[in-house]
Amino acid sequence: MEFLERFAVPHPSIAIYASMVAIGLTMIAIVAGLTYFKKWGYLWREWLTTVDHKRIGIMYLISALLMLFRGGVDAIMMRAQLSAPENTLLDAQHYNEIFTTHGVVMIIFMAMPFIFALMNFVVPLQIGARDVAFPRLNALSFWLFFMGAMLFNISFVIGGSPDAGWTSYFPLAGNEFSTSVGTNYYMLAIQISGIGSLMTGINMITTILKMRAPGMTLMKMPMFTWSSFIANVIIVFAFPVLTVALAMGTMDRLFGTQFFTMENGGMDMLWANLFWVWGHPEVYILILPAFGIYSEVISTFSRKNLYGYKSMVASMVVISLMSFLVWAHHFFTMGQGALTNSIFSITTMAIAVPTGVKIFNWLLTMWKGKIEITTPMLYSLLFIPLFTLGGVTGVMLAMSAADYQYHNTMFLVAHFHNVIIPGVVFAMLAGLTYYWPKMFGFMLNERIGKWTAWLLSIGFLLAFMPMYITGLDGQARRMYTYSEATGFGPLNMISFVGAIIMAVGFALIVYNVYYSTRYASRDIGEDPWDARTLEWATHNPVPEYNFAVVPEVRSSEALWDAKKHGHVLFKDRNYKKIHMPNNSGVPFIMSLIFFVWGFSFIFSLWIPAILATIGILVCMAHRSFEQDHGHYISVEEIEETETKMRGAK
Amino acid sequence: MKELFPAKQVLGFAFSLVLTVIALAVYFLDMSFQTGMTILLVTAFVQAGVQLTVFMHAGETDDKGAIYLNVYYGLIIALVTIFGTLLAMVWDM
Amino acid sequence: MKIDHSLPLEYSTDQNQYNILGFWIFLGAEIMLFATLFATYFTLANRTGSGPSGAEIFEITPVLIETLLLLTSSFTIGLGIHAMRLGNKKAMLSFFSITLLLGLAFLGVEIYEFIHYVHVGAGIQTSAFTSILLTTLGTHGAHVTLGLFWGLFIILQVKKRGLTPQTANKSFIFSLYWHFLDVVWIFIFSFIYLKGMM
Repeated sequence: MEFLERFAVPHPSIAIYASMVAIGLTMIAIVAGLTYFKKWGYLWREWLTTVDHKRIGIMYLISALLMLFRGGVDAIMMRAQLSAPENTLLDAQHYNEIFTTHGVVMIIFMAMPFIFALMNFVVPLQIGARDVAFPRLNALSFWLFFMGAMLFNISFVIGGSPDAGWTSYFPLAGNEFSTSVGTNYYMLAIQISGIGSLMTGINMITTILKMRAPGMTLMKMPMFTWSSFIANVIIVFAFPVLTVALAMGTMDRLFGTQFFTMENGGMDMLWANLFWVWGHPEVYILILPAFGIYSEVISTFSRKNLYGYKSMVASMVVISLMSFLVWAHHFFTMGQGALTNSIFSITTMAIAVPTGVKIFNWLLTMWKGKIEITTPMLYSLLFIPLFTLGGVTGVMLAMSAADYQYHNTMFLVAHFHNVIIPGVVFAMLAGLTYYWPKMFGFMLNERIGKWTAWLLSIGFLLAFMPMYITGLDGQARRMYTYSEATGFGPLNMISFVGAIIMAVGFALIVYNVYYSTRYASRDIGEDPWDARTLEWATHNPVPEYNFAVVPEVRSSEALWDAKKHGHVLFKDRNYKKIHMPNNSGVPFIMSLIFFVWGFSFIFSLWIPAILATIGILVCMAHRSFEQDHGHYISVEEIEETETKMRGAK
Repeated sequence: MKELFPAKQVLGFAFSLVLTVIALAVYFLDMSFQTGMTILLVTAFVQAGVQLTVFMHAGETDDKGAIYLNVYYGLIIALVTIFGTLLAMVWDM
Repeated sequence: MKIDHSLPLEYSTDQNQYNILGFWIFLGAEIMLFATLFATYFTLANRTGSGPSGAEIFEITPVLIETLLLLTSSFTIGLGIHAMRLGNKKAMLSFFSITLLLGLAFLGVEIYEFIHYVHVGAGIQTSAFTSILLTTLGTHGAHVTLGLFWGLFIILQVKKRGLTPQTANKSFIFSLYWHFLDVVWIFIFSFIYLKGMM
């Protein structure tokens, strides 16, 4: 009995019991459904073992959308709790758990996989490659992310959710103040998915450096590829910091080390420091690919080439270095001296400059363009003013002296949602709508799409603008309630209404997918948006080998050249057999073992932990000895696919 | 037998032994903290450079630009992280 | 798989070139991993609580032995790669074996060192200083341990399959890893031990 007690949830509620039942029923339904429709083989062959970058991209996308709803439910609950003074919908403990999981899920398990989804799907197509440099590693990256996400999500029904905030500051996150296993979940689930992110970083950099189509020099890469490249560079150099910080946090909690403790020389502030050494570059990891998407979309629907390509690239390179120079602005009030705060204040204000350059580039791209307002373009048009607002409040926060007023208030919460939602979320939805025909061969409904964009924008303004005001009036973040005398009630009610409107917007996305799957035309050709870049030069949806013939490129807008300037993309029309990587079940199995490994550490089950460690090492050894030369797609097979694809036009 | 021991690598090895001996001076000789740290910084980074160019063949292919950029970039970020952390956590606390 | 015979075996296919560049980028990430450990070490080095300080527990002899073992192993694996490029499989395997034996000896001394630390009351739970000291050394030691297994697998593969583009590529990448561990050790040697004993 004592053994089983550790798995109990420390603060159960009806909602948690209901979730347990719901999770149980869903799992039974999935297993029963797969068995009834005899889809186990299909699932294993086509998805669980796939190394195809497009399928991995789609799996990232599905996971990201699922996590968006998990995090969204948390958000609605928070706003509902705060909608009225002295509300009792949630108690303090549940509120703590929910704001923690909301933050972690949205950043690590929603935004990250969303950008990985688009990177995986788009980058190889945009550079004319057949797959990424390390397809097998790519599958491993995805499954590690996925298992990390699953591990994190079971926390609220087994053992209890983490409750020390998404930043998990010590000493609050230490054993003394966080007695449940929740924070162990935080440390290990993020660790596992973080390893996956690091591998993706290495993979994408190598892909972009080594696998570009003939003629595509670095300065002829489409902007989304450039932005992905820079984002991955930041990943490679930022994620190891998180790895080490999480490992030390785990050791403090499980093995009694003294890194972040309050005694024997431990230094709790060091956690905050290391967390943000990773955390601030992470912000740019998320926003740069978003900027890339906006650049593609704005250029396409203004029917003009991107204004200031070189300055765009230069500003991103500058950001990649500067993003590592600003981290201390997250803890201006922690007690370091004026010198440190001044330095980090100045670097923080300076990093706004390259970002501002981009805003002007987009505006000038639209200047005198023939603007067509499609759904992706609508998101981009809404993004520019809304994001600028968030950027400006960011510069306010950058002033370390003034930050003593803003710090830890709803003003800060309003600021970072103001950059992340119009910046990252809108970009991902724009990218989703823009690349949907590339992924699935039909377009999402434009009318529903535009409704979604407007609802999200209005909901966003209603939800977050009031927070700027209550924040300046002193409403602290992460407080589960407030008294009526504060007068925060009406503004928080407006926030709640805004959150509901956003929820309707997100639900409309699901409806749009359903509606379009059912009614949209499949006869969309290769280039439904009249786009400019290389990924639109192959079929929709994309065949396994991407391009039957390797394209040749002479500018960043290869397809536009071909359409308007008579550039020949495919010189040699004769098909040759194509070398492709083999599928493998090992990444999935290895990640499953990682799941067991993480779970065992979380609950201090040492024998399974040792066995799982051995299992992971055996998988690596297996990979070392394995001989895998891939396979070829024959010329006949290519001809058959190409004829079929052209027939679908 | 001789062809198995190329002069470049043998000299590189000898040089790294010499650098180690020089670094040891900070232990065996009496000197100020500043002098000691200067010696250690110089010997450690030169030693790392020797490994990089002589033994790791960093500059022998077309990818050398990417490889050196990668190492320098890592080095810059590493130094920023170390000194920034020291500034915020120790020197200016 | 196209093989370009004008290049050394380890670079001879596209995939081989991807692997080598990818591994260099991984080493870039490793630089940051150890940099974070060093940043933590320097921050916590004087925070010894009630435990001993570095000057009290460091011993020059084992450290010197470890340094010489690792430096030499870095030299021998370099010779191994040179022999591989000459196509001399036997010499290459001998150099790789010597490298691994030196690595094993290094690990032995390091284990002795750890036992010594625990013995003098500097366990991983003693103070912030001992926690980060043993974690940094342990992370490097774990890399060496992993390298010993990896190197062994590669020796077995070269023995069985001969020098092919694949095995040559793996051997070369392993040599990068091993040299990198030597570089890390140089920094540990200089800025943990020598600085601590100065």
